Amino acid sequence: MTKNSEYAIEVNNLTKRYKDLSAVDNISFTVERGEVFALLGPNGAGKTTTVEILNTIRKPTSGKVILLGMDVTEKKYDIIPRIGVLPQGFSSFDRITVKETLQYYSRLFCRKKPDIQGLMKLVNLKDKAGVQYKNLSGGLKQRLGIAVALVNDPEIVFLDEPTTGLDPLARRAMWEVLWGLKKKGKTLFLTTHYMEEAEFLADTVAIVKKGKIFAMGSPGDLIESNADYLVVMLKSVDETVFDIVKKMGFSPGYDSHGDITVRLTHADDVRRILNAVRDGGASFTGLNVRKPNLEAVFLKLTDDTFLENFVGVEEAQ
Amino acid sequence: MNLQIIHTNIIWANIIVSIKSFYREKTVVFFRIAFPVILILVFGTIFMERDNEIFELSIQDLDQTTSSEQLAAAIGLSKRFKITQVSPDADAKQYARDNKLNLIVIIPKNFEMSLIEKMADDNFETPVTLTKIYDPGSFGVTTKIGVLDMVLAKINQEMSGKPPLIASEPVSILKKKYRFIEFFVPGIIAMAVMTASLFGTVNVNAELLQKGVIRKLSTTPITRIDWILSNVLYQFILAVVSTAVMLLVSYAVFSVSLEINVWLVVFVALDVFAFVGLGMILTRVAREAESASAAADALMFPMMFLSGTFFPVEMMPEFLQTFARILPLYYVNEGLRAAMVAVDHAAALKSALIIGAFASVVFVFGIMITNLGGETT
Ligand SMILES: Nc1ncnc2c1ncn2[C@@H]1O[C@H](COP(=O)(O)OP(=O)(O)OP(=O)(O)O)[C@@H](O)[C@H]1O
Ligand SMILES: [Mg+2]
Repeated sequence: MTKNSEYAIEVNNLTKRYKDLSAVDNISFTVERGEVFALLGPNGAGKTTTVEILNTIRKPTSGKVILLGMDVTEKKYDIIPRIGVLPQGFSSFDRITVKETLQYYSRLFCRKKPDIQGLMKLVNLKDKAGVQYKNLSGGLKQRLGIAVALVNDPEIVFLDEPTTGLDPLARRAMWEVLWGLKKKGKTLFLTTHYMEEAEFLADTVAIVKKGKIFAMGSPGDLIESNADYLVVMLKSVDETVFDIVKKMGFSPGYDSHGDITVRLTHADDVRRILNAVRDGGASFTGLNVRKPNLEAVFLKLTDDTFLENFVGVEEAQ
Repeated sequence: MNLQIIHTNIIWANIIVSIKSFYREKTVVFFRIAFPVILILVFGTIFMERDNEIFELSIQDLDQTTSSEQLAAAIGLSKRFKITQVSPDADAKQYARDNKLNLIVIIPKNFEMSLIEKMADDNFETPVTLTKIYDPGSFGVTTKIGVLDMVLAKINQEMSGKPPLIASEPVSILKKKYRFIEFFVPGIIAMAVMTASLFGTVNVNAELLQKGVIRKLSTTPITRIDWILSNVLYQFILAVVSTAVMLLVSYAVFSVSLEINVWLVVFVALDVFAFVGLGMILTRVAREAESASAAADALMFPMMFLSGTFFPVEMMPEFLQTFARILPLYYVNEGLRAAMVAVDHAAALKSALIIGAFASVVFVFGIMITNLGGETT
């Protein structure tokens, strides 16, 4: 074992090119054992490409990936028994039941005494043991996929969009499952579009776009360093409120509920706006002031127009 | 390094999953097992009747005398014809059309009189003529007329009282007397195993590839040799079952007499190997499920019709015969017939070597081209 093996995953200058397109563009990062690492990025950012290189499905164009101290391009069959993979859009044999599917994958890993019952319990599929894959709902299929990813009791689990397509309740349930894995000391590498998910689960979040990492750090740090503003939300039926705020030199907007939102850089401005509204004889029925969450950071960092003025971040990483 | 590239337990796991998937899909089971049997039943029935056929023959006796009655009876005695009388008042052509008869023999008026005159004068130069009303569009009427002429020749010869100068005796190239169905069954076995192996492999693999199951499998210890061998063994098991059913039906319904020997197993296995391998290649090359199926169709139909499954290759023009000889199915047909019908071991071995060479090439190429990862570059 080399000294590198203190890391679960080590990625150095990884690039994957498809003709002219750099799906992954010279990225580097490390993931420690027991860490939960999330890749966050819009569609086509290169998340799946990255994960699939890490879990040996695709070959990198250049760069080095070390998993558990082994090079992925050289030691595929030594690495495979020690990792678990939930591919994006997991699918399985239509006519095979939940239980049989888990037995099948256990056999592929040559597990002598697979704990099928335990796995089904973990993802809450015990009462679906005899149901064929094609008759499972989307959420249940996804849960089966997670159980399948765990049949070999892997040290690192790769989960490509584990909660896409799940209802909010099922998503929370899935988080509980993943949280349980984290507690067991497994290294989790996940990709997601959902900020809450990354915020809730991940120790480290890397925000990717166009194959590049734009920001990386703990969710708290990312919010802190990018949250140099406040968001004020005003609920009002009075149309003059919007004009009053606008006349003060701010740029208000409407959110999806029809409420007015304003982005402010100074806490003082909140009081100034409230005073101006009152002085203007207008009224509002609700007020909400919050720090931006990871979603806002994400939108800010991945917004093209914003990126043009944001060259510094990439170099800072 | 993973030196162990074949894992028997993994192959076994794959076969279990494949077989369960198969029998839970009832329509697939039906087509796989019942379809070749239906082919055998349909064609078997047709050939069965041709083999010892008794023809329907309509006779219109315009003479209505003892001699004309005796002639009709003599034709009937040949055991080749079942005689139906047509009323002398009917218009024979119209009657044939109306009743969909392809042949009516008319015994002319004054038949008896003419015969007596000729015998009395000892004048045999101009014979008494029977008229044959026939439908040239009817399949098989030529054979029927041929048989009738033979029967009439015999009657002529007996009536003139002279022994035949030349006789002939048929001697088959085969040890036993075989019927056409016995040539047909091995052909259907070869074809059924081919189509099932090719389509089974293409359909299952294209679907698994498209759904990403293969991508998931590539993150498990399974190797591509495991995967291809799993496909081959699974198709072989199905082929054995389906062949057994075909043979049982052939024995039970047509009491065929076919030799069952180790060659049967060899050719079924080679048939599976070759066409599963081809299926793996097509899945890879075509990539889209639809184009893989289309490619399989394009390969299969010429093979089905040109390599001697339904009719002998010798019936085709020369250049098509040459073409047939490059089709792998041709050698499975030849080999199976050599083994089961002619029991010619040397010929069977020759076919086995040719199809075996083809299967090996396809199999090795299949392993090389199969990439469980689904990587394009
Ligand atoms: N096999 C391939 N051939 C050519 N281009 C590819 C291939 N795979 C991915 N790409 C391209 O690489 C880019 C990154 O794709 P990738 O699937 O990694 O994105 P992603 O971040 O996972 O997106 P999503 O959130 O939609 O899953 C995309 O522009 C995609 O079109
Ligand atoms: Mg993706």
